[in-house]
Amino acid sequence: MTLAFFSSRSLRTGVVVVTSLVLAGLGLRVVEAPAWEVVRSRQPSLRLESVKDALGQGVTVGLLGGFRAILADLFWIRTNYVWEKYDLPATQTSIKLVTAIDPRSPYFWLNGSRMIAYDMPNWRIDKAGGYDKVPDSVKRHFDEEQSAVAIRYLNEAFGFHPDSPMIRLEIANIYLNRLKDTETAATYYRRAAEHPDAPYYAARIYAELLRKMNRNAEAYDYLKQLYPKLPKEDLQASAQTVLGRIHELEDELSLPADQRFKP
Amino acid sequence: MSAVSVPFSFSRLALIASNTFLEAVRQRLFNFLLLLAVGLVASAQFFRDFNFGSSELKFIADFGFGALVFFGSALTITTTAQLFFSEIENRTALTLLAKPIWRAEFVFGKFVGVFAVIGVFCALTIGLMMALLWHREGQLMTIDPEAFASGRIVRYGDLFIVGVLQWLKFGVLSSIVLLIATFSNSNLYTVVTGFFALVICHLQYLARDSWSNVDNLMLRVLVQVLGLIFPNFQLFNLGDEIGQGAALDPLLAGRVAVYAVVYIAVIGGLAVYSFRNREI
Repeated sequence: MTLAFFSSRSLRTGVVVVTSLVLAGLGLRVVEAPAWEVVRSRQPSLRLESVKDALGQGVTVGLLGGFRAILADLFWIRTNYVWEKYDLPATQTSIKLVTAIDPRSPYFWLNGSRMIAYDMPNWRIDKAGGYDKVPDSVKRHFDEEQSAVAIRYLNEAFGFHPDSPMIRLEIANIYLNRLKDTETAATYYRRAAEHPDAPYYAARIYAELLRKMNRNAEAYDYLKQLYPKLPKEDLQASAQTVLGRIHELEDELSLPADQRFKP
Repeated sequence: MSAVSVPFSFSRLALIASNTFLEAVRQRLFNFLLLLAVGLVASAQFFRDFNFGSSELKFIADFGFGALVFFGSALTITTTAQLFFSEIENRTALTLLAKPIWRAEFVFGKFVGVFAVIGVFCALTIGLMMALLWHREGQLMTIDPEAFASGRIVRYGDLFIVGVLQWLKFGVLSSIVLLIATFSNSNLYTVVTGFFALVICHLQYLARDSWSNVDNLMLRVLVQVLGLIFPNFQLFNLGDEIGQGAALDPLLAGRVAVYAVVYIAVIGGLAVYSFRNREI
């Protein structure tokens, strides 16, 4: 009986097909493994954590079909729709879905985090009775909770944009503007400014925060090192503003004339 | 019996292939999917307002590759299954195989015919996408010459290579569908199973990832084996960085091409083996 079963033509064919495919797969690993390593390293969106949130949401076919970008755009429009309705759970879910579908664009990460950190605390305050009725401690609590969600979300973005100065800046902004944590904000501004593609203002804000924390000598040294690197013809670099601040700090630090910065 | 009495003939294979090709291009489905894909690629410019995340050229490239992959996959699966089963259902396969024709000639003839049809589809879609990118890039160069100080950003040669790799991927998919068709009894079953195979081939890397750390040895081995049975279609996903100025590594493209060609040969060979054991 068993022998007859195993000698059946279709089963034999099936076994041959599966065995051959396994052998082919094993043989092709030599070619596949190095190629896959490169493809994967260049496309963080191929990671399991990236797609697991998106699968089962009716977007699988789109992802497979290569419509990742357009799908994310369409879901971003949906995000804005629910955002206009102050629907917190739907907005938060939709934001995460967009970056799950297409984590390649920093735009979604940055704007999504802004909605979470800056808009959602206000929605929660409104829902709790409004600005006049909600105690400051509760407002602060909402701020802290939403900021934590936004920072966690932006930290996820580093998995796809490890060197992005804009994401560091966004985290810095949240620490500074929502959590009023100048020390941590300054650290993030400094890290962002260290990146060659960082906007010039990151370094200026870092120096200003040092001044705010009464670390004038540190700010002075930092700006002195910064100034020579700034392109003088680029308005965004604001070299004259930086020079002005260096002079202000020299006055505040009461530096003698011979020790003052000479550009 | 008659097949073994004559040597394998490439001219007979070419005849079957050309017949398959003509049959395919006469089909409404081919024309419909081609028109849809071409229409979608051509309309990419009108969707620019919905683009938030990426640069405009990247968006057009993504859109074009999306149309190519989506409609190309649908075309490959349905055309392969339909053309194979049309011979069985119309009994022309019986007449054909009663003549001194190898079953290998029949299967590979079908494959080459479908592969040529998909080639035409890929060439038209990629050609249109390249023309669109070229045109838009030219416009952008006039609007913002500083952004294009070092010339054009899009690497059109790489676009072409990625198009060829997608064509090879469809070749692998076509051979998988042919293999399924050789033991399947209906067109519908083949098409549905073909789509499942497409999904598995696209997502098998996820299974490998998620189960690689599982403690259960049996499960781990099972997933590893499944990962070996199905080709990894994500490997062909090289069009992601095109439109942002990134260059395609020729060695990488070569490896992916070898991967596809070997799979086509192996799965095609298995389809012949399976078809030889089939009673028509």
